[in-house]
This record gives sequence, C-alpha cells and structure tokens, in this order.
Amino acid sequence: MIKKYWIIASNEVQRQFTYRVNIVAFAFGNIAELVALTVIWSIVYRSIDTIQGYTANEMITYVVFAWFFSFLTTTYAFEQNIARDIHQGTLSALLVKPQSYTRYVATVATSRILIALGIVLIQASLVFLFFQDRLIFSLDLPKILLLICMLVATYVINLFLSILIGFIAFWTNEIHGIYYSLKVFSKFMSGTFFPIALLPALFLKASYFFPFAYTIYIPVQLYLGKISFVEGLWGLAIELLWILILYGIIKIVWRSGLRKYESVGI
Amino acid sequence: MSKTYEYHKKQPGLWASAKGLFHREKLFKKAVREINFEINEGELVGFLGPNGAGKTTTLKMLSGILYPTSGEAIVLGYTPWKREPAYQKQFALVMGQKNQLWWDLPAMESFILNKEIYEVSDKDFTKNLEELVDLLDIKDILDIQVRKLSLGQRMKCELVAALLHKPKVLFLDEPTIGLDVVAQKNIRDFIKQYNQTNKTTIILTSHYMEDVKELCKRVIIIEEGKIGYDGDIASLIEKYAPYKVLKITFEGDGVKKADIEKYGEVYKFLPNSITLRVPREKARDAARNILSSDLPVDDILIDEVEISDVVRKIFSNNKLEK
Repeated sequence: MIKKYWIIASNEVQRQFTYRVNIVAFAFGNIAELVALTVIWSIVYRSIDTIQGYTANEMITYVVFAWFFSFLTTTYAFEQNIARDIHQGTLSALLVKPQSYTRYVATVATSRILIALGIVLIQASLVFLFFQDRLIFSLDLPKILLLICMLVATYVINLFLSILIGFIAFWTNEIHGIYYSLKVFSKFMSGTFFPIALLPALFLKASYFFPFAYTIYIPVQLYLGKISFVEGLWGLAIELLWILILYGIIKIVWRSGLRKYESVGI
Repeated sequence: MSKTYEYHKKQPGLWASAKGLFHREKLFKKAVREINFEINEGELVGFLGPNGAGKTTTLKMLSGILYPTSGEAIVLGYTPWKREPAYQKQFALVMGQKNQLWWDLPAMESFILNKEIYEVSDKDFTKNLEELVDLLDIKDILDIQVRKLSLGQRMKCELVAALLHKPKVLFLDEPTIGLDVVAQKNIRDFIKQYNQTNKTTIILTSHYMEDVKELCKRVIIIEEGKIGYDGDIASLIEKYAPYKVLKITFEGDGVKKADIEKYGEVYKFLPNSITLRVPREKARDAARNILSSDLPVDDILIDEVEISDVVRKIFSNNKLEK
C-alpha cells in the first residue's frame, strides 16, 4: 500500500526533473512579492515608530516569515491539474484503477512541490542573511516543533482547498475566475501580506470563521511571541478541525461531482 | 441501460454569447437509449457504429467511469459504477485516444506503478511482463520517455500496462485509431493471440472494418444509441446483403454491357472484368447460365459482399429494422 504512493511520489519527482527550466523559474516568482512588501513597510516606518503594536523590525520579521511560511505551504496552483484531469478526461484512466483519486492527487501534489520546497529553503536562507540586522530570531525547541506541525497542517488545508476548487471543474468549464478570486481572498485573510490585526474589527472577527487566519497569521504570531505557546496549540487544534471539515466536504463534492462527470475528449 | 448528456446550444455571434450569460437553453442528448446485451466469458465482441453512436459511452459505463441515467449492468457479478476494487482488479480499459502512461517517463515506470496499484506479485509481474514484451516485441523501447515513442509503440505499451494484472475482461476503445496499416495489423494480431491463449473476454470498439472482421465472431451494431444488430458477423452479411457477388473475367475483347445485364445487376463494368450482384438464391443458377452461354468466360467467382459494404449500407440507411 505505502509502496504504491512511494512510487507515485518518485515518478512525480522524476517527472519534475525533466523540466529543469521550470524548476529555476519557480525561484524568480517567489522573491518578487517579498521585495515589494519589505520596500513598502520600510518606507512607512520612516515616519512612524509602531503600528498596532508592531515595531519596524517586528513588521519586517512578520512580512519575511509570512512570505517564508506561505511559500513553504503553497500547492503552486495544483487546482489547475485537477481541473485539467476533469476537463480533458484524463481522470477516466485513473478512475478505472483500484485506487483513490483523491489520495493519488494528494501524493502527486505533495511530491510535485518537493523541488520547489528546496528552492524556497535556499532562497529563505539568503533572505534571512540579507535582513539579519532587522529580523527577530526567537526560537526554542517546543516552538519549532509546534511551528512545524502548524505548517504541515497549513499545507494540508491548502492542498484540500486546491482539490476542492479543482473539483468545481465538474460543474463548470473554466475554474480560473473562481481560483483567482479565492487566491486573492485567502492571501488577504491569512495575513500573508500584512498582519490581519491591522484590519477593521469586523474583518478581523470574520477572519476567524475561515481557516485562513490559522494558516499563516497565527503561526507568525507564535514565532514573534505575540501569542503564547498554549494559544498556538489552540491554533493548531482549529487547523486540524478545518482539515476534518474540508476532508468531509471533499468526500461529498467528489461523490456528486462524479455523477456529473462526462469523461469528455473521446 | 441508457445515458443522457446535458448540453447547451448557442446561436452564432457576439450578442448570442452575451444572452447566453443569463439564459441558456438546456438540451439533452440521449447518447445511449436502450442497450441490452449479454456477453459470455472468453468472447471477443465488436461494437460497431458511426461516430457518436454511443459505443464509447457504453464502454465507459461498463468500466464504471460514467453513471447510467437509467438501467443496470452486471460485469463479473459487479455493478461497474460502484467501482469496487475487487471489480477494478479484474478488468482493464484501453482507450486509443487517451493514455494512462506517465507521459514524461519511460513506460517501465508506469508498469511498476501499476504493479503496486493492482497488487501483482513480483513473480507474476516478471512473468507477465516478459510474456507481453516478447509478444509485442518492445524490449528496446521500455526505457524511452513515452512522449518520444511513436503512436504505434505507445499503443503497445498501453496494452502492456493494461494487461499486467491479467484482467478477465478487457475493454478496447478504438485501439488502432490513427495507426498505420502495419501497426494496426500488429495490434490486431496481438489481440487475437492474447484472446486465444488467455481466454480473456474482450469488447472492442472500432470503426475500422478490418479490426472487427479479423477479430470478432460476434458484432453488436450500435446506432443512435440503440442496438441495430447483435449476432454473428457471418449472418450479418446474410441478413443485410440479400445478394451475392459474381466476379467474372472474360477472354479476348470481353463483352458488351447489354449482353451481361440480363444475368444480374452490373456493379462494376470493364469489358474484361465484370462484377455482378445477384440475389442470394439465384447466384448459382446465374453462374451456371453464364458459363453455358457463348460469352468468352475465362474465370468466375461467387463471393460474399464485403462486410464493409454491408455496414456502410446500414449506416447510411440510418434506420435499421430489427
């Protein structure tokens, strides 16, 4: 059983290696966002000392780590792959085999990002080096372990969301519009660009009803020491709850999506 | 069993597209209306029919990809669209226009993955692989990226991938589509041999007459989602071609059209070589009469109508009587 997924993973990594240019291309996009954010905040903090309790260094640290965490846990638009399977009928060949499609794509998606993950780690070390005077480094072992658990959970949430958005392709011929809107919304609500504490109270309250705040904002708050270890544990618990909820939704949507599936393209 | 698809119609033009944002006419296409048949173990049955007749849709329902709109199907004792692993391990589907192999990797990687998915033992895997690779003669291409292979080579690899777990039932959807004649023949010979040695039940769709003629004893003709004919390929000809063909060659200058017309309907005419269509029961008499006439006959041959002619006739007539 396990061996099956190991081979799927190894095939996917091998496949990625056949696209060497693509691997390098990943590296460029990642960094552009961070440059923009740090430049903006550096300018803002020239005339002000703290914003909502964040000092300039805390803000830069926030932005750098939010960037780092979000690129560690992204699925790189995996929903497009699922939509392609559905629209082009490649799903058919996978459906007739004694395997679970959801588990299959989860394995492919996860191995697909392994190389990109390596690149992010290298990039991040360079970024940390570059900002070393302004970054706050505060880590101990329990915190590291908790952060790792949280980020794994974040990845799983992102993966499940990608799968769900991909499944929309059962009903529509195009998912780009939905994908785009949700991407922007989730980046905003998860605090990838700035701490959501800066948002109006209503938004802040609303954000706790979505999984997004727990995926980036809470882990970075934990790193900065703005929330306690126990609060961090709670954050992780809510993430796990969301994983369960999303898993249930995936099951339901998959079942009704299949009834709509037309296996087109001959 | 029946299957209905939903689709939309759009009038040409920009304005019609804009209107379509708010209101769309919903239409239904009955891809498969009522299809009833039974297939026995070890049979090799051909589905014949023009494009859009519902052949592939039927195969997709039988392999559990699609849910039927109504009706039921039992394959090996299972309802296909429940997609039970116990069923899935016993059949395979090969689609001529789709591939299940990992496009960017050598075919071998896909075989190894299928071994795990279908839980084939090491021993069986080695044995089956060797047998298939031998039969299809593809030893040299196993380590080449699938996308670098020719269509014919790829199809062979597709077949290997599908057969590694020794399925009891094999669905072949247009396995020879787009192949050149040599490659078509290779695939055909392979299917024939495989069916004979392994007693695998095979359902094949194709619109190449040769495939069906060579491989299948029984054909099911599907047309507009209905079964038009189900039976022996030989009696198909008898039923739909109530005449035989006389091919006569003449010596010397040959004959005039007028002299030969009384023996039957002239189908092809060259002074030295004539093809006549004669009602089935009169074929023998006609041949005897021609031989005993004073026409300069060199040779005479009584033959069945080409099956492709029969099928073409059925397809173009549109309506089939049952």
